[in-house]
Amino acid sequence: MAKVLNIAPVSRIEGHAKIAIHLDDNGNVENTFLHIQSLRGFEKFIEGRPAEEVPRIVNRICGICPWMHHLASNKAVDSAFGATPTPTGHKLREMCQVMAHINDKILHFFFLAAPDFVLGPDADYSVRNIMGLVKAAPELAKQVVKMRQLGQMMLDKFAGKAIHPVAGVVGGFAKPMVEEERKELLQGTRTLLDFGCYALDFAINNVFAKYMDIIGDLGAIKTGFLGMIDREDGSLRLYDGQLRLMKSDGSFVDFEGDDYIDYIGEHVEPWGYSKMVYAKSWKEGFDMALTAPKGIYRVNTLARINVCEKISTPRAQAALEAFRSSFGRPAQQTLLYHYARLIELVYSCERTIELLEWEGITDPNVRAKVEPKAGRGVGVVEAPRGTLIHDYTTDENGCISGANLIVGTTHNIAPMNMSVKRAASTLIKDGVYSEGILNQVEMAVRAYDP
Amino acid sequence: MAVTAALEWLGSCSGCEIAILNIGEDLLPLITETLDIVHAPLLMDHKYFGQCGEGVALEIPDAVIGIVTGCVNNREHLEVLQEMRTKCKVLIALGTCATHGGIPALMNGQDQQESWQGIFTTVSTDPGAEIPDVEVPPPLDRVYACDEKVRIDMQLPGCPPNPEFIAEVIVSLVEGRDPILPSKSVCDTCLTKREGKGTVDKVKRFIENVEFEPGAPIDEMRCLLEQGYMCMGPVTAAGCAKRGVPGCISARVPCRGCFGPVRKGGNQLLDMMNGLASNGIDYKSVVDRRSILRFTGAHGRLRPVKKHVAREKS
Amino acid sequence: MGFEPKIIAFCCHWCAYAAADLAGAARMQYPHNVRIVRLMCSGMMHPEFVMDALSQGADGVMVLGCHLDECRYRDGNYRALDRSDMVVELLEDFGYEPERFNLTWVSSQEPDKFVKAVTEMTVRIKKLGPVNDVQG
Ligand code: SF4
Ligand code: SF4
Ligand code: SF4
Ligand code: FES
Repeated sequence: MAKVLNIAPVSRIEGHAKIAIHLDDNGNVENTFLHIQSLRGFEKFIEGRPAEEVPRIVNRICGICPWMHHLASNKAVDSAFGATPTPTGHKLREMCQVMAHINDKILHFFFLAAPDFVLGPDADYSVRNIMGLVKAAPELAKQVVKMRQLGQMMLDKFAGKAIHPVAGVVGGFAKPMVEEERKELLQGTRTLLDFGCYALDFAINNVFAKYMDIIGDLGAIKTGFLGMIDREDGSLRLYDGQLRLMKSDGSFVDFEGDDYIDYIGEHVEPWGYSKMVYAKSWKEGFDMALTAPKGIYRVNTLARINVCEKISTPRAQAALEAFRSSFGRPAQQTLLYHYARLIELVYSCERTIELLEWEGITDPNVRAKVEPKAGRGVGVVEAPRGTLIHDYTTDENGCISGANLIVGTTHNIAPMNMSVKRAASTLIKDGVYSEGILNQVEMAVRAYDP
Repeated sequence: MAVTAALEWLGSCSGCEIAILNIGEDLLPLITETLDIVHAPLLMDHKYFGQCGEGVALEIPDAVIGIVTGCVNNREHLEVLQEMRTKCKVLIALGTCATHGGIPALMNGQDQQESWQGIFTTVSTDPGAEIPDVEVPPPLDRVYACDEKVRIDMQLPGCPPNPEFIAEVIVSLVEGRDPILPSKSVCDTCLTKREGKGTVDKVKRFIENVEFEPGAPIDEMRCLLEQGYMCMGPVTAAGCAKRGVPGCISARVPCRGCFGPVRKGGNQLLDMMNGLASNGIDYKSVVDRRSILRFTGAHGRLRPVKKHVAREKS
Repeated sequence: MGFEPKIIAFCCHWCAYAAADLAGAARMQYPHNVRIVRLMCSGMMHPEFVMDALSQGADGVMVLGCHLDECRYRDGNYRALDRSDMVVELLEDFGYEPERFNLTWVSSQEPDKFVKAVTEMTVRIKKLGPVNDVQG
């Protein structure tokens, strides 16, 4: 009685995916697939568009992290046009990007992931969600909604649009910040920092402690990691820096985003529209075997926390030290993505404050002169979902003649498939499965926040 | 009694869903008291094929209010949209992808097969890769807006739509009255100073910032069209303005038309070119005119460029 | 084979429409593919008429007005001429061959010229094929 269980749609994640669990005659897991269902074709339909318009087209790749695409794209166009943003333009972009990280992490942890932990993985699906969370923990829920809204509105007010932004422009930023705005943003961010620290404590005490056994096991796999670090001191970076590709034994190479093609490749399977990125430079090929994966590395919060030497802001650094002393480096447990996410939440708040306190932030010189021309440029940022690469070629008119995009989630497609397989084959035995068990399989995906 | 609601996303970016979450203070009462959400992939775990995935037919529960976002570009989108139509009393198309095709409908301007092939043969993709076709929904011949496929009761464009009006549409439905929505153009909601076009006879690309006094209120800034930038405010439906200023204009950036045309069947490219021409501005100075249709490529608006046939003398 | 194009001809009331009338009265033969829409002046032709006609199934669109300097409303046909340049360019933007549009001047006394224009247009569109040969 072999059969297939179709978990569709995978819910409380950002994209369109389905999990298929193939059971054999004895009701044990034969194989699993995480099918990525959607393809829209951005790489192709930006061809011919004036490059300076592209940052406000590609943001529509994702409405949860539009700032990431917007800015990676701006960086790519800068370099294709040979423009260097002014220092203030550069910093304003970074500020918007880290602020967007703040919102994203609140959204992901509390709206999407937390219901599993607060209400329990086996709770009925009708209550295992933000609506249920409101009933179970109304004060917390109110606070969460308020904080997310605060962050979102701060960005919206300063940059005109928080979703599908337009304020980042080739050469820098569209408008300077005035003192009044700076004060207001600082005040708001300080509130967010307090909340971020509270959220981390809350999770350490109420979530991670309680679910330690699940964390160690659920969807656990062993892989390498990729993330951005500061060029000088190797500390965590989200907006600009070099990339570090680490093997599971902790050894690593560092490289500039421009050279990505020498290090990573994209593998295609016929059963999903998303490509699967892997470490080409390890020269071992691509294999998702659970026991001996080949070329597989992960990105996103846990990866960044693993590859960095340290974090440049004090509270996040303290949290990182505590994390490392518990889980080592690199930490492999999949559910630790949530832990790492909250450390990054604290970092993002602290970094925003740091940028707002920088004396040059209100300088009116926010955009450098640019001329559309032929060239090629690679723009890399760290999106909440991982390393994001936009690579454009422009013609003599400054219009896009070719584009290659590697979006955050795609690096994690192979690892997610492995985590699903691992979770399903551990949890489903001899034909015994339940809604709660299948939800735990989904939790393995949710941790990655795809 | 709460009103049942089902949310679905088709070819979307989730921005519309985030716009819903941005409703703010009223969000919690809306999703917990006003509405009883029975299906919504981003927020809850109701499954198409039963909670244990054993079903064979895709199923969404009955609901009074249905909200769909995103364009229709593959078979699964179509199936989900049809199921939503069957199960929901009132079906709302939310966001410009759902109402006009949105950014994904830019694909309608290209040869789809060739483009997809291209996507699977980029520099970083392993050689020999083919377009996936196992267990993934096959594409439709082009990208459609929702109303090209099923009857839609209410359209609320915007990329993303304005949270204020999302709330208004939902609340008005629950209260059984017509929603109060803006009906004019973006310019009608814009406070910039208008003094006449002056000497502008060409539009420039947006490669330098517009002129304005930092920190000064928006009504002290000259209209961007009058500053010589192509601003699509005149040909775009109002609705994005928050705090009294259209979204992009408050960032000091020209409008690109994300709310679609002012009239439902309108044509932003034609209207914009006609507007420029009748103001003595050279419409040929617009680089890549086709991208003016970047939000409204469904409904047959955007089509692949035809190879030029040798022009005969007439 | 067997493709019978639909052509919409926007005719100025004062000239081309009268010429078409005359052609009819004189039982002159012209292709039945042409459907005539009367305008008071060629200057009233908005580019939208052309695009809408094509998007709703026409395979070609003609505008016929009075000879230059003979427009009842003075410069209506000059305006049509200006716009037609734009229409031709925009047709390409919208993914149509520019040849699907034609602008001709005919006086009310030139039924033969009217017939010639629509016949030539029909031949040209037959060669081009239907608007929607690529996608449905
Ligand atoms: S309309 Fe805009 S925000 Fe909504 S799904 Fe489409 S691209 Fe995203
Ligand atoms: S053209 Fe642009 S800047 Fe001018 S009034 Fe309209 S929206 Fe405002
Ligand atoms: S100004 Fe135009 S492009 Fe910008 S948000 Fe408003 S409608 Fe959309
Ligand atoms: S009246 Fe005939 S073209 Fe103007």
